[in-house]
Amino acid sequence: MTTRTIDSSAGRDTRGVSRRDFLVRTGSGLVLGFVLQNVSRVDLAEAGVPPPPAATGATVNSWLEIGADNSVTLTIGSSEMGQGSFSGLAQILSEDLMVDYARIRAVQGGPTLASPAPVGSAINTVGSSVIRRNFWRMRDAGAAAREMLVQAAMNRIGDQDRARYSVRDGVITHAPTGRSLTYGEVAADAAALPPPASAPLVPDDEFAVIGRSVPRLDIPAKVDGSAKYGIDIRLPNMVYAVIRHAPSVGGTLARTPSRPSGTIAVVPTQVVAGTERGGEAVGNVNAVAVVGTNTWDTWQAAKRLKVSWRLPANASALNSDRFLADGLALSSGGTPFVPGGANPPGTVYTVEGEAGSTTAAIDGSPSIVESVYSLPYVAHACMEVLNCTVDYVAGVRCDVYAPTQSATSALGLVVSLTGLSPDQVTVHTTYLGGGLGRKAETDFVSQAVQVGMAVGRPVKLMWPREEDFTHDQYRPMAVIRARAGLAQDGNVTGFSYRNVSPSILGQRGRVLGALGDSQGIEGATHLPYAFGTRAIEYVAHPSPVPVGFWRSVGASLNTFGVESMIDELAEAASQDPYLFRRGLLTDPRWMQVLDAVADRSGWLSPPRAGRARGIAIGTAFGSIVAQVVEASNLTTTSVRINKVWIAIDCYLAVNPDSIEAQLVGGMVHGLNATLYGRQTFVNGAAQVKNFNSSRMIRLNEMPDVDVTILPNPSVADRTAAIGGAGELGVPTFAPALAAACYKLGGRRIRTLPLFPAARMGGL
Amino acid sequence: MTFNVNGKNYTVSVSNPDMPLLWVLRDLIGLTGTKYGCGIEVCGACTVLIDGQREHSCVFDASSAVGKKIVTIEGLGAGGLHPAQQAWVDEQVPQCGYCQPGMLMTVAGAINDGHRGKEIASECKNLCVCGTYPRIKKALSNL
Ligand code: FES
Ligand code: FES
Repeated sequence: MTTRTIDSSAGRDTRGVSRRDFLVRTGSGLVLGFVLQNVSRVDLAEAGVPPPPAATGATVNSWLEIGADNSVTLTIGSSEMGQGSFSGLAQILSEDLMVDYARIRAVQGGPTLASPAPVGSAINTVGSSVIRRNFWRMRDAGAAAREMLVQAAMNRIGDQDRARYSVRDGVITHAPTGRSLTYGEVAADAAALPPPASAPLVPDDEFAVIGRSVPRLDIPAKVDGSAKYGIDIRLPNMVYAVIRHAPSVGGTLARTPSRPSGTIAVVPTQVVAGTERGGEAVGNVNAVAVVGTNTWDTWQAAKRLKVSWRLPANASALNSDRFLADGLALSSGGTPFVPGGANPPGTVYTVEGEAGSTTAAIDGSPSIVESVYSLPYVAHACMEVLNCTVDYVAGVRCDVYAPTQSATSALGLVVSLTGLSPDQVTVHTTYLGGGLGRKAETDFVSQAVQVGMAVGRPVKLMWPREEDFTHDQYRPMAVIRARAGLAQDGNVTGFSYRNVSPSILGQRGRVLGALGDSQGIEGATHLPYAFGTRAIEYVAHPSPVPVGFWRSVGASLNTFGVESMIDELAEAASQDPYLFRRGLLTDPRWMQVLDAVADRSGWLSPPRAGRARGIAIGTAFGSIVAQVVEASNLTTTSVRINKVWIAIDCYLAVNPDSIEAQLVGGMVHGLNATLYGRQTFVNGAAQVKNFNSSRMIRLNEMPDVDVTILPNPSVADRTAAIGGAGELGVPTFAPALAAACYKLGGRRIRTLPLFPAARMGGL
Repeated sequence: MTFNVNGKNYTVSVSNPDMPLLWVLRDLIGLTGTKYGCGIEVCGACTVLIDGQREHSCVFDASSAVGKKIVTIEGLGAGGLHPAQQAWVDEQVPQCGYCQPGMLMTVAGAINDGHRGKEIASECKNLCVCGTYPRIKKALSNL
């Protein structure tokens, strides 16, 4: 690490630090508390998330501690599910704190650190938000702590001219005397000082760590078997519970079964407020948990248990074919949204533009293209099944150990279920064996608490893989109708687009306003294409199958719909799909990303014989991503993906290696869903139950992937939006592959997945 | 029943001789590094070595493991990191990490069987939902 001097008197780069951002705790070292953004997934989905509040005992959720022994400890409550954001936050901090990143110890925060106990110092980890929403806060915290430490050193040395001090890896040096003090030596003194009114940040051209690939902090524990996931929790005297749900959406328990011999209890569990989704209504006793002394025996007992379920009256209508037919029927016509009206499912929300003028423009065009696309429900299928461990002592305390993306939401739920006060409840966030949006929900936490309260012993609740697949809150199915006109010169005269899909926000108790469900239509709005006129509509599909946030959410639906349509339009205009998009794009950033992926893939030179390429571009979570997919050997049951190129503009890349991993991982997630992913329903019962009937690719099928990250800005602007990376590899894969397959096979792919009948063989 | 795991003997009472070794390890012995993914021998998350051979512990009867040498991820390094573990760190392979104990045990077993480099890759068919495959390939090319 190089020695850097920050001239605070110059004031340059003094951006946004304010005393009210920090809370100082005294002790043997310096402890600085601050507030990272903490919102629920639903809040994040809605506009106008307020900036975090002032740092007080009740709001602080993150702590930086400089010990007298020179240790640097960062305690943060965000969840680590493989996306590397925990390390990324430490990396950002190290820049302005001016300590070696490798020296920072990152500790998983729990909700009882602050005093008085706040409602959650844990941070909901949702919406690819951790790094991008907290970048400046982490930098400010590092800079403020550094300036407090330097001030303490200045007081000790007796020279108040800041320009005469420099910092190198936690050592403060006074240039005139050459005297050095370590952070540890002055930490206690610094704790007696007020946070600075301003603290300059390291200029972008002097970054030592931001923008560099540094090793992740969680990797060693993930190769030696020591990483503890939720499912690995073991408590003294603990028993094991295995869940078994009603077979059908909306099904409920008719009679509580008697306890099989050899087990400890059978506990019916119900849907509690905040976890109701679609047909799973509050108060529905929709599952039983069998409790025993180990997982295996308990699981076998749960499988053998004779349970009589009451099916919902509409069970026979809960079929995939019917859902598709309903979606098709709602993809045209319909009643528009009325402010203050009942607006039942099926209502048409105009999200952007206007239907009348768009239809007129299309109808008057020499060439018209119209297509309907459909996408299925898809399960999350995290590698670690849902699970939660609860240690409840009536009237005294409740400790919850969960692989959760929403520790704060879980805490609130546990408080309301147990009637305990917030300071009697602790949510311990474990490592997550994948989150993918599913572990932002709290249904499994609620069940574990109900069982824990019933048995009065520590209990670990597990969902067998079959329950995990069949009782998911799925990526919504969608039927998308797109229609567009082309002028003689190939310009688009009008673009009308309607997405019919079950509403994620509606299933979470939100009354949809004039713009419908932002989660359903994202990826189809604000498109920087010169469409002439446009009408972007959303219709809530009435299906009661529970839906939820699935990696990249609405963008995974709409990028397929929009970009597939663009590909069809390019063909109708007899233009190359890359050049056609280039001609249509109005945003230079999109153009750069598209050019980058075209360059890297050699788009303009033909692929090897027998191969074909497809291209697509899209946006999600503030980033712009384009993909080129090269494929060959298309049959009715398989296709070979030869190579994928991805380019991203996320504005500012903190750890390029981590972003690369996320993009590749997201692409694989998109690939699995595009080729094989679907959940289907017969009489309300989910049919796909394990990985054998939901195929995913294995190592030998993995294509080479080439990732390009557009360069960071020379001076990052505090007001510019930093984009996410965790979900960005997903959306553009499907349309790019579909376009490549069209060139290979001559048949448009408008229905996903490509190979619904595929099975995955054993190892 | 007595199980020899990572060189140590564990005597536990197993209610049912058909209980898969996975649950004996995780619940009765308390070694949770071996993971449950599918229970039907499709994902490989539960892979361990039994007398040096790769086995899927989710379908391996406990009684058949008695008297054999069982190695789990916790014992793979035996005092340091196994070369595969080191390669995994060097290439920054894991994301969520949940599949990786099974991956590493599979790789270690393939090496025991005499496979090297690209051959190991064709032996390693475990599922990784996070899609860490390209880094696994790179890590394997150094073995
Ligand atoms: S858990 Fe054994 S193969 Fe999946
Ligand atoms: S690293 Fe998450 S499943 Fe492989």
